[in-house]
Amino acid sequence: MALSRALAFDGVAFSYGNVAALSDVSFEVAAGERVALLGRNGAGKSTIVRLVTGLVHPDAGSVWIGDWDTADLAPEDLARRVGSVFQHADQQLFARTLREDVGFGPRALGFPAREVRRRTDEALDALDLHAHAEQHPYDLSPALRKVGALAGALALEPSLLVLDEPTAGLDRAWRARVADALREHAERGAALLVVTHDLAFAAETLERGIVLDRGRLACDEPLERLLTSAERLKPLGLVPPPIAALSVALDLPGRPVRERDAAHTLARVAGGRSAS
Amino acid sequence: MSALHPFSLLAIAAALPAFAWILPAPGGGLATATLALVLALVPDVRAGARVVRVAVLTAAPFWLFLLLLHDLPTTVAMGLRITTMVASFAWLVAALPPDRLVEAMVARGWSLTLAYLFAATLSAVPVLKARARRIVEAQRCRGLSPRGSVANRLRALRALALPLVLSALHEVDERALALETRGMGSGVHRTPLAAPPDRPLERAARWALLLLCLAAVIWRLA
Ligand SMILES: Nc1ncnc2c1ncn2[C@@H]1O[C@H](COP(=O)(O)OP(=O)(O)OP(=O)(O)O)[C@@H](O)[C@H]1O
Ligand SMILES: [Mg+2]
Repeated sequence: MALSRALAFDGVAFSYGNVAALSDVSFEVAAGERVALLGRNGAGKSTIVRLVTGLVHPDAGSVWIGDWDTADLAPEDLARRVGSVFQHADQQLFARTLREDVGFGPRALGFPAREVRRRTDEALDALDLHAHAEQHPYDLSPALRKVGALAGALALEPSLLVLDEPTAGLDRAWRARVADALREHAERGAALLVVTHDLAFAAETLERGIVLDRGRLACDEPLERLLTSAERLKPLGLVPPPIAALSVALDLPGRPVRERDAAHTLARVAGGRSAS
Repeated sequence: MSALHPFSLLAIAAALPAFAWILPAPGGGLATATLALVLALVPDVRAGARVVRVAVLTAAPFWLFLLLLHDLPTTVAMGLRITTMVASFAWLVAALPPDRLVEAMVARGWSLTLAYLFAATLSAVPVLKARARRIVEAQRCRGLSPRGSVANRLRALRALALPLVLSALHEVDERALALETRGMGSGVHRTPLAAPPDRPLERAARWALLLLCLAAVIWRLA
């Protein structure tokens, strides 16, 4: 069904001049799915983000946002379905206050003032940004500006959210807030595609991993499986996050990769031992 | 062309606009504007064509405004002068690598901070261009359409200009801090490793250029 498919890459190739960035990439993301896009520097992750947002178009194959083919659409058209945060998102804010900036997207799409206000408030709420809402964006740290940019993307209420390194420079508390907001957004039916080098964040927040290697799809599977397999991560330039490494080292049942799951399992194992 | 001493390049880039304003219009402006554009094309036609395009695109709005505000002769006179300024600056940015300028200035005993400030202005141009592109892209992905009505375009301009200026100012702050922590501005004289050579002939030519400028001023005033 077209509705449950949020994003599809179908045999996509793309090059910058004669530098091939992607070749023959195919995958689908369903509504509500939370996907990590991984790979070493230059693997082609940001190029995927540019394709999804319509900033560039494939040389071969096609990119679908739901039932829209991006080939005939401009970024400002796709903004009705795709919310995005780029690597340099801290440089994009421009309104006098963070609140005004977060409301920019819905306003640009032509929503009435009341709807703009509702969406702005909800986005600020989701990321716990109300304390900063009346501040000038440039009074915030670059990392917080990036969280502000994420709020701006949430305010579009997109069916697909693509994020390029959303947690770079954030402390633990802010990372946890971003993770919560993303999970909440996905629970409401939106798909997430998150580029990240932060595998611990990916393990906590996302469920499926797509790995690119020199422009090709190297693997696509549940993160639990991927992150607990050091011998497969290594050639892709990835290192398992601490919890995953621990659960492999201790050979924990089910190989949990999230902190909470690992704590549960450890407690169960320890409880079983003291009982016996 | 880039074999010339940085100061010679600077002197040419300064002399052309000076002559454009001193010499009688429109002949003077026409000559200097043509010279500046030809200068850009001399060493490498393909790279030069890019410089010329930038200069023409930058100067075009000025012509438009002049035409709206003045009569035709004034527009031509002023427009040619502005075109000379823009083209000389565009040529300088393309012909003079900032690091060579800093070396030349420091070798001449200029303060490192001043030399840096000068060079940073030149080197900021491509960085700002890349950043402007990124900002426009991000705003389009938030639903901003840079096409269509005048109101649309004005909105797009605001969404671009403000973050561009703000982030540039922010960067200046950070650079100043970085310079201080590295001990710049402490007034110690430094000797650069590879000071560009300055030939006596070039030096003489620069003095001649300055004298020529003064002569032109006197001739115009007389
Ligand atoms: N504008 C461009 N012009 C030319 N080549 C480019 C351009 N942008 C990216 N590339 C090249 O395309 C390839 C993929 O780049 P991309 O930015 O998608 O990688 P990435 O996975 O996002 O890397 P990173 O983790 O460093 O952000 C790289 O080889 C890169 O050098
Ligand atoms: Mg990237």
